Amino acid sequence: MKIENTKAQMRKGVLEYCILLVLDGKPLYASDIIEELKVAKMIVVEGTLYPLLTRLKNDGLLAYRWEESTQGPPRKYYELTDEGREFLGELQKSWNDLVEAVNKIRNHRA
Amino acid sequence: MKKTFTINISGTVFHIEEDAYEKLQNYLLKLKNHFGNDDEGKEIIADIETRIAELFLEKAKGEPSVVVAGWVDEVIRIMGTPEDFIEQEGEEEPLAGTAKRKRRLYRDPDHRVIGGVCGGLGAYFNMDPVVLRIIFVVLFLINGIGLLAYLILWIAVPKAVTTAQRLEMRGQEVNITNIQKSIREEVDEVKESYQKFRTSDKYSKGQEGVSKFGDVVYNVLKVTLRVLVVFFGVMLILTGFFGLIGFLSTLIIGHSFVSNWPLLWSPEFHMPEIMNHFVNPGSLTVGIVAIAVLVGIPLLAVLFVGTKMVFRYKSNNAVIGLGMVGLWLVALLTLVFVSAGQIGNFKNRTSLSSSETINCNSCQTLYLELGEDKYDSYAEADFDMERFKMVSVDGENILIGQPRLNVEKSGTDDFSVVVRKRARGKDQDEANSNIQDIVYRYVAKDSTLTFDPYFLLGNESKWRDQTVDITVKVPEGKTIFLGEKLVEIIYDIENVSNTYDADMVGKYWTMTPEGLTLKGAAAPADSLIHVN
Repeated sequence: MKIENTKAQMRKGVLEYCILLVLDGKPLYASDIIEELKVAKMIVVEGTLYPLLTRLKNDGLLAYRWEESTQGPPRKYYELTDEGREFLGELQKSWNDLVEAVNKIRNHRA
Repeated sequence: MKKTFTINISGTVFHIEEDAYEKLQNYLLKLKNHFGNDDEGKEIIADIETRIAELFLEKAKGEPSVVVAGWVDEVIRIMGTPEDFIEQEGEEEPLAGTAKRKRRLYRDPDHRVIGGVCGGLGAYFNMDPVVLRIIFVVLFLINGIGLLAYLILWIAVPKAVTTAQRLEMRGQEVNITNIQKSIREEVDEVKESYQKFRTSDKYSKGQEGVSKFGDVVYNVLKVTLRVLVVFFGVMLILTGFFGLIGFLSTLIIGHSFVSNWPLLWSPEFHMPEIMNHFVNPGSLTVGIVAIAVLVGIPLLAVLFVGTKMVFRYKSNNAVIGLGMVGLWLVALLTLVFVSAGQIGNFKNRTSLSSSETINCNSCQTLYLELGEDKYDSYAEADFDMERFKMVSVDGENILIGQPRLNVEKSGTDDFSVVVRKRARGKDQDEANSNIQDIVYRYVAKDSTLTFDPYFLLGNESKWRDQTVDITVKVPEGKTIFLGEKLVEIIYDIENVSNTYDADMVGKYWTMTPEGLTLKGAAAPADSLIHVN
């Protein structure tokens, strides 16, 4: 088993959570989301983000509206739906549970 | 100096160098294959295109500039390739939608002269559009088919608007090998699912088996259907194409260069010219156009459906279909009106009889013979009309009619011949003039009467149900001999023994008070001794 693969799997699992997290509270458009995620080193190539955004939108967790841009094409601003916020709350909880679980095991071994 | 193109990405126009364009095109094609062609895939691609446009704009920094290959490389590095996505998502197998992009027929707005039809066809068939343009122009100059075909394609084939469509325009080549390949792939798919079904059947039964079996049946049906559709489509294309060419050429040039197709008239006859004998010149052109549309549209429809079956391109079926049906109905109505107008030309019927006494007081027997058929050696049209024939003499078509010959008892002591001509016309005068134009001859020489086998309608006359009836009146006690060849024109001659017309020829018949009676034994046809 390649280490890269395992890392990718782990990242993939939390990527959706991170996207929802970035969008919590303020609508952003794709490039802003990419910036945030890049800074956090969550994604390497931008192409990965678009299928995820589309899927989250189709699942009803995200919604978008068009906004004219002074330069370039109109932008899609994404924001959380009520369902998305609820979903994010669930994810927060299970993330905390996971961190707790991992820490517990680590501490127990140490 | 490098060639540059102008492209439109998400509503923003960019100038791009040729090599950069190729690179970008390949990249987008890869993305499309990765994300699939469904709504979700399309949305993702649209978003990515928007982002690419944004990145290019950032690069340009508000100044007019040209996209170079380096920019495209950088964009690809930022956005990532499908391989990167797979790696990052940690998936071992590529996503759905890896199916090869099928090439589709579009009109190419980037390489157009008129409607982009030739440009699109060129992309589709991997040909230089210039060659196609020349073919279209030549076809147009020869007989107008080029123009017709061009207009139809212009209407039927959609314009490539989105980047996806432009890519599809040059997608995987459609040729026999590729059609074969796609069919073979589907066959393999069937085999595979059948194998799966076989192996799984041994272990699991019930629901799973049933659904697998369903898959197998579905796939077998799908492939069979596809093969049938392609085959049927090719047949339709051939039928439509040759039918159309044959039909139009008989209509326009007058002879067909595709012979032996069921639709075609005999090559030496020319549709408008044949009609000329029946229809007034004014209505003729209208009628011909109506017939062309009436027959042409179904043939076009056949051709259209055939090409759709084989090449699976998109088109606005409803508009084209309704348009064609509408045009067809208009043609039908036109033809009905033209025909109705023609009926008026048959309203009045009149007849004219002329009687001639044969001066042959001393002859006991009158010999009736049929004259030489001078039209026998000319080409004859396959023309189904009672007692009329169409022959082609030195490139001119002549309509000739067959007279009818009867024999009756004479009221006097002399032989006589009555010729009764009849014709129709839209009024009495026209009917009369049609009669006057009828040309019919017979020759009386000594005791022999020789009848022409045909009558002519006269120079400018049209067919108005003209007939010629000949009655030979035989006085009681005298005899006639019916020549063998007369069988062609004699018509229901009454006789005592009720002998059929065909059996009456080659024999001597005597007029008795009871009627025409067979005289003695049959005389040999070649020993015509004239008793004078």
